Amino acid sequence: MRFSILFGGKAGQGPNILTHILGEALVKQGYYVFYSRDYQSLIRGGHNFNVLTFSDKPVFSNDSGIDVIVALDENTEDIHKKNLKREGIVLNGKHENMYFAGLLFKSLGLDFRILEDELKILKKRFDENIKEAKKGYEDGKQNINLPKASGKKSYFINGSQGIAEGAVKAGLDLYYAYPMTPATPVLGELAQKQEKDNILVLEMENEISVINAAIGSAMTGAKAMVGTSGGGFDLMTEALSLTGMAEVPLVVYLAQRPGPATGVPTYNAQGDLNIARHSGHGEFPRVVLAPGDPKEAQEIISQAFYFSQKFKIPAIAISDKHLGESFYTLADKPIITKSKKSTKFRRYNSYEKNPQTGSATEDAEIIKANVEKRIKKVLEIGKEAEKFTQYNVYGKKNSGNVIVSWGSTKGAILDAINEGNLDCKFLQVLYIEPFPKQIKKELEKAGKIILVENNSTAQLSGLIAEKTGIFIDDRNKILRYDGRPFLADELRKEINKKIRGR
Amino acid sequence: MKNPKPANPQSVSTSTKPTWCPGCFNFQILAGMKNFLANEIKSGKKKDDFAIVAGIGCHAKIFDYVNLNGLNTLHGRVLPTCLGIKVGNPNLNVFGFSGDGDAYAEGIEHLIHAARYNADFKYIVHDNQVFALTVGQPTPTTETGFKDKTTPRGVKLHPINPIKLMLASGATFIARVFADVKQIEWILSEAMKHKGFAFIEVLQPCIIFHPDSGYKNKVYSLEETGHDKTNFNKAWKKAEEFDYETISEKTRIPTGVFYQNPDSKNRVFEEQFPQLAELKKKNLSWKDIKR
Repeated sequence: MRFSILFGGKAGQGPNILTHILGEALVKQGYYVFYSRDYQSLIRGGHNFNVLTFSDKPVFSNDSGIDVIVALDENTEDIHKKNLKREGIVLNGKHENMYFAGLLFKSLGLDFRILEDELKILKKRFDENIKEAKKGYEDGKQNINLPKASGKKSYFINGSQGIAEGAVKAGLDLYYAYPMTPATPVLGELAQKQEKDNILVLEMENEISVINAAIGSAMTGAKAMVGTSGGGFDLMTEALSLTGMAEVPLVVYLAQRPGPATGVPTYNAQGDLNIARHSGHGEFPRVVLAPGDPKEAQEIISQAFYFSQKFKIPAIAISDKHLGESFYTLADKPIITKSKKSTKFRRYNSYEKNPQTGSATEDAEIIKANVEKRIKKVLEIGKEAEKFTQYNVYGKKNSGNVIVSWGSTKGAILDAINEGNLDCKFLQVLYIEPFPKQIKKELEKAGKIILVENNSTAQLSGLIAEKTGIFIDDRNKILRYDGRPFLADELRKEINKKIRGR
Repeated sequence: MKNPKPANPQSVSTSTKPTWCPGCFNFQILAGMKNFLANEIKSGKKKDDFAIVAGIGCHAKIFDYVNLNGLNTLHGRVLPTCLGIKVGNPNLNVFGFSGDGDAYAEGIEHLIHAARYNADFKYIVHDNQVFALTVGQPTPTTETGFKDKTTPRGVKLHPINPIKLMLASGATFIARVFADVKQIEWILSEAMKHKGFAFIEVLQPCIIFHPDSGYKNKVYSLEETGHDKTNFNKAWKKAEEFDYETISEKTRIPTGVFYQNPDSKNRVFEEQFPQLAELKKKNLSWKDIKR
């Protein structure tokens, strides 16, 4: 059973708090909850909505059909009633948002005490909130019978929290950033943690300053990280090349949103795989890793620190708005990879340098030796990466239909194939660079390869072609590039079509 | 301008042979820096207590000749690099070197913010009013009328006045000196005593692409004329005396410390963060923090 609730309203009416309270409450009751946020680039007004999906079984994405619409304004009902299921209900009227919380908890047959506990945790405006909630609870009636929850103990977390927590557990010292959606939540999370965890978070005048300061700190031996989105990452790329030349360890968190240029700032895309792989002039080794959920976000960011410290290279963890801002219910604890601080303050150079003096050189033999020293790392990194899970395999392990994808599409793909019991195997690529060698064998065995990506040019298929020589048929590519994440039910139909198609 | 006993400048030299043009004023800055360092080492500091950062251009070769830890960084990025090093290890004495292209063109946004941050590091701009290493194009401090291959009709823009820019940006230590070994040595030790960001503009004629500006005979010492460096308005008046245009009979160029904010020590960047203050107190860097 998957049950979907849509919370809609104007920015400032508080649909987020409402969604989060219900999510937290359901997770504590032992349900699996997932919610995503759809919001516009404005501060007050407009139309924002969240869709919360929960179930007695694991759930990692939303569906198109909605069971309950919680309409904080009139617009919400008009916009979303086309998605309301036949037996679906609408909770509306002119009320404070916590009134709707009461109404909803009653409707779902959840004890008022559970809501009260959440409001206590929220703290803010407790007296007003509890009053409104009580009123709503009294006015409401129970009309939904929930299945019994699994009762499994789990935690509720979004991708940004995963990145922040993983970085701290991996030994982060310094985080530098300039605000940019959707990377900003990591900045907020780390800033809140800084004094407790004895890390330092600095906002500087622009992304160029951010990365150059981070390099300065990294040279002194600190574990430094920067975070940004595509546009900011573009500004950083000259200095990314500097980390390659100077051989300074640096972790970069790249949270994608639709481009080119300013694009659609608060929406979702996977259009920056190629710049993560290729940005920066000259030739230098790097690692690019792509988590697919908040648990992997924690693991991957710790691996990014590991590779950057071990090989003194830039390591990029690539995420997106959907992963960064959606909340997931996770039961398993992440496996954090520890790393030693490898760097000592000495003479670094953006020029090709003489290793004896640290000064710039134009000597042909030294240039050749330095280039080879840097490029030799590519092989060593590839070998080291084999110690890690470079890709995940889900679904029917012996199926000839193989779905291949990366990053935040994982949730919708898992839900689509599990719910539909589809005849397919799913390869989720975690390591973009170095690219896992076994993918070639996996794909050679496949009868049909189906690609799923949130971009228009199928960037992963380009990478696969480059690394394996295998070209995925255009007819088997499922690409979404309208700024929205995949929905499980729609994706299930798409995959089914590809499986059946000739 | 007291100069203690001469120290051995070799202790801070690399074995790299300088490639500046013979007679270049950069040699004066280099010698001044080495003397300053030698004096500091003589009075108890260690070589590794210092860090050097340079940008891109003729000035940056100073990195190759001064044997300190640091980074010869990208064009225009000296200031964020200095800040990052200072944040990474607040116990280091960080010296950043830039040219006028580095400081006032490619990286000017960092300059304004560096003045605002007031982190405790020193910044020296070798201002030769020309892009010398790219063979002679005009920079933001080049005088109106300057001609080169890329500006056949001559420069039409007026130069910026870095002293005024720094005063307006809230820098807490603002100085200008001529590229002379004694001047450099003196101003570096003055800057070293300052708690906070120190901005030092050095008039460094380029003997090839911006020859004989005649500065040497036009400069006078602010200290000798009794200038009150704690007075912002007077500093502004002094800054206006020379506008970086072509010099004339009347031109007089004040050098020395224009302005020093007596309150600077209370608003040093590193001391605003308990995490960094703690490192400073315990003489540690982040590298020493085990997690």
